[in-house]
Amino acid sequence: MLKNKRLILFIVMTLLILIGLLMIFSSSYIWADYKFGDSLKYVKQQLIFVIIGFLILYIIMKLNSDFFYKYSKYFLIISFILLGLVLIPGVGVVRNGSRSWFGIGSFGIQPSEAMKIAIIIFTAKYLSLKRNVYKKFSTIVPVIIIMGLAFLLIMLQPDFGTGVILVMSVVAVLFTAGVNMKYFYMFGLIGVVGAVVLILIAPYRLDRITSFLNPWSDPLGTGFQIIQSLYAIGPGGLLGFGFLGSRQKHFYLPEPQTDFIFSIICEEFGIFGALLVIVLFAILIIMIIKLALDEENMFKKYVIFGLGFQIIFQAILNLSVVIGLIPVTGVTLPFISYGGSSLLVTMVSMGIILNLSKRND
Amino acid sequence: MFTKKNDERIKFVLLIFILLFLIIFFKIVYVQVFSYDKLSNLSDDLWSRELPISAARGKILDRNGKVLADNITITSLIIIPNQIKEPEKVAKTLSDILNTDYDDMYKHVTKKTSIERIHPEGRGLSFSVADKINSYNFEGVYLVKEAKRYYPNGNMLSHVLGYTGIDNQGLSGVELLYDDYLTGEDGAIKYYSDAKGNKLDMAEVYTEPEAGLDVMLTVDFDIQTSIERELDNIVTSFSPDHALAVAMNPNTGEILAMSSRPDFDPNNYKNYSKETLNRNLPIWMTYEPGSTFKIITTAAAVEEGVVNLEKDEFYDSGSVTVSGAKLRCWKAGGHGHQTMLQVFENSCNPGFVKMGFSLGKEKLFNYIDLFGFGDKTGIDLNGEGKGIIFDVDDVKDLELATTAFGQGVSVTPIQQITAVSSIVNGGNLYKPYIMKSILDSKTNNVYLEKNKEFVKKTVSKNTSNILKMALESVVAKGGGKVTYIDGYRVGGKTGTAQKVENGHYLDNNYIMSFMAVLPSNDPEIVLYLAIDNPKKTALLSSYTTTPYVRKILLDIINIMDIQKQKMQKEKDYEWMDKKYFEVPNVIGMTKDEAKKHLSLFDITYVGDGDIVVDQTPSANTRYYETGTIKLLMGNR
Repeated sequence: MLKNKRLILFIVMTLLILIGLLMIFSSSYIWADYKFGDSLKYVKQQLIFVIIGFLILYIIMKLNSDFFYKYSKYFLIISFILLGLVLIPGVGVVRNGSRSWFGIGSFGIQPSEAMKIAIIIFTAKYLSLKRNVYKKFSTIVPVIIIMGLAFLLIMLQPDFGTGVILVMSVVAVLFTAGVNMKYFYMFGLIGVVGAVVLILIAPYRLDRITSFLNPWSDPLGTGFQIIQSLYAIGPGGLLGFGFLGSRQKHFYLPEPQTDFIFSIICEEFGIFGALLVIVLFAILIIMIIKLALDEENMFKKYVIFGLGFQIIFQAILNLSVVIGLIPVTGVTLPFISYGGSSLLVTMVSMGIILNLSKRND
Repeated sequence: MFTKKNDERIKFVLLIFILLFLIIFFKIVYVQVFSYDKLSNLSDDLWSRELPISAARGKILDRNGKVLADNITITSLIIIPNQIKEPEKVAKTLSDILNTDYDDMYKHVTKKTSIERIHPEGRGLSFSVADKINSYNFEGVYLVKEAKRYYPNGNMLSHVLGYTGIDNQGLSGVELLYDDYLTGEDGAIKYYSDAKGNKLDMAEVYTEPEAGLDVMLTVDFDIQTSIERELDNIVTSFSPDHALAVAMNPNTGEILAMSSRPDFDPNNYKNYSKETLNRNLPIWMTYEPGSTFKIITTAAAVEEGVVNLEKDEFYDSGSVTVSGAKLRCWKAGGHGHQTMLQVFENSCNPGFVKMGFSLGKEKLFNYIDLFGFGDKTGIDLNGEGKGIIFDVDDVKDLELATTAFGQGVSVTPIQQITAVSSIVNGGNLYKPYIMKSILDSKTNNVYLEKNKEFVKKTVSKNTSNILKMALESVVAKGGGKVTYIDGYRVGGKTGTAQKVENGHYLDNNYIMSFMAVLPSNDPEIVLYLAIDNPKKTALLSSYTTTPYVRKILLDIINIMDIQKQKMQKEKDYEWMDKKYFEVPNVIGMTKDEAKKHLSLFDITYVGDGDIVVDQTPSANTRYYETGTIKLLMGNR
């Protein structure tokens, strides 16, 4: 059923998920024991999601490839409705300062994650139908409007990280579709202006930027997470402290099993651990890109590329934050970070990629 | 064709991704390799907590290495609030054991701090208390061993040593002045903890505290003991306002002993008034010196050649009138006809008025300046006084006259002993000092060594010799007779100065002092002793200070192993004095022969026989008239 590139892709994904389970255990058992009296609490929950994830992956791979093409409009509409609903207090649940969750018990679902996938499918279909015509700006206006609306709704939660991934992935798809370069320069300009506006609206974002430039200027405030992350990575050195050997997970790094799990990997396994994770992600994107290049069908090509772009772009965002290259954005490391919603959506994306690339393997 | 363009752009995106991964990897390498040391140190500080262990201060030693300031190890209680599981129980137990208030203890135990000390109840715990606390084995309750300053000799040398505060920091005296050397490097027990303060299961790191360097003083423990004892006796006998004594090696400026009353116990310095603690009288107190100052006047006059002590003569009628003021000699009716040496021996004021006028005010005040009066000597102790000397332009005849016999000027004891030392050592003024060396007692490495510091030349060798003779004369024939020690050439000068308050001389309120030099022909030590306002005593230093000075000098002879000198000036005997004679050698003589030779003494015989086999005291020692000589008799 799975061969060559798709098999490699599947194996790499599984490896990343297994690394994730191990590291979620190592980084969370202290906190889990402290908060719940059950040191396996997080790893057990994640295991459930991993099992569900593989089931969903299997189901999606079995679906008819036309399914996504046919219902793309409905995915988009449903996603918009959910994005609207989640903003209503009482319906949406606030977690970590953002009203971006539908809470079901201790499990949560983020509609913004669904929107990420839906908008790629929609854009891919739209562009595949408009062959050759979108040298004119007017052709891509509907995509831009829909993207802008989705971004706006996500920013109302607010969830900057997901918003950026969504916009960047749509822009990337437009780019590969051959849209004239001058429009991207324009996007860039709008992006800069938008960033300035966003910072003016919420000055805490500026704090994040300054704290990124010099985390030690406010070591207990905005610089706290970056410093704690560097305190984990730096002392790890070449070989790290060994599995379970992290010191920063002893309440120094808050919630080390989520956004900052990579710093614990660096602390326990040193440069070699970091290199392994980066190489796995690199293989993942190389395989996805190869599948996209092999694909003749433009819709499938765009979807495979767009979803792959999202996963890798998120990974790069997360790694860059953890090692202090960019300000804190609050995105998880795909496959590895603790978090059911994030894992499920990533595996849905992988399922779609594996499904659409079936014929070319 | 169009797909080709798409694919190119897709490949371009891949390229960017790979580039970003590389950047990320290089940044990780940078953080883990190049920032490794910096971040490891910083995070080590974050992960570790330190239980401080205060280092021992360096010891303060006397010139022979006897310990004057030591350290004792005490046990202190340290609490790490974050690690305490049951604060109520811990607070209750600790407050019961230490006998303190529960609420206070609860505040300590729950304080938001990484390390909490309990002052002062939690310091210096006895073994039984520490053992009791230990038996509970509470988490977060630690007992650490610390060094605390301890002065084994109590009040001895207290003003010089000074005292230390609760954190072992020097607050006065040598402790303050040489604090940088004495202070050690604190150690610590480092353990690793999580962010909530709980101890992690990692090995503790022990950093040994490093003791400070030792300071060796010029002080001699035994001489110091002697003057402390005699000052105590003086206090007991006379209840004076103050009493003080300084001993100096005149050939170097080294302080051999220094003390004063009132003094204090540096172990419990808080029980004393600020005045008592701060005033190191031998360097701080300024007063009119009285007759001891006549040594200065005489030295100046001899140096200038305006007086020949043995040839010049003076008639003392009992008083002299200067500018309408009648200046009396202390002896009613006067001393009559005297040589100038006798004027010095008798401390005859009118004679010194004459000497002052012979010198003239310019020269006298030049010498006063030359000997260092009016300026700090620069001894390495805090709180030195300067004294007050007339401005030479304001000096009229009356001021010149009184200054010549030591009234009207105000000086410190250290100035006097420094000046006199220069007079008797051949004319070299040395800066007085009390720190001999700074050393590491473990390795015996000497880090700093102070040597004598020559400041200036004061008088010639000849003047020095004449003054030494004159000082010995005072002890043999004049006011210092009580300090006469048979066989040892003691020089000295008495001083009795009326005290001034608000410009008026007080009645029956004197400072009695004595300046002694031993041996006077080749001085090894100069001793100055002063008693401020002694009660219930004759108002003459000749009787008040001298017995104590003599006892100290006798001790010094033993301590410094001073050899007997020849050509001692014979004492002017008074009817009550015992006369001393040299005992001849009678060993080998017959009973009769021996009897003839020992006519000045009583004899008892031990043993049978006709020949003297042995004798006590032995030949050539000096022994008082009518003393008993024991002769062991035997056969040839």
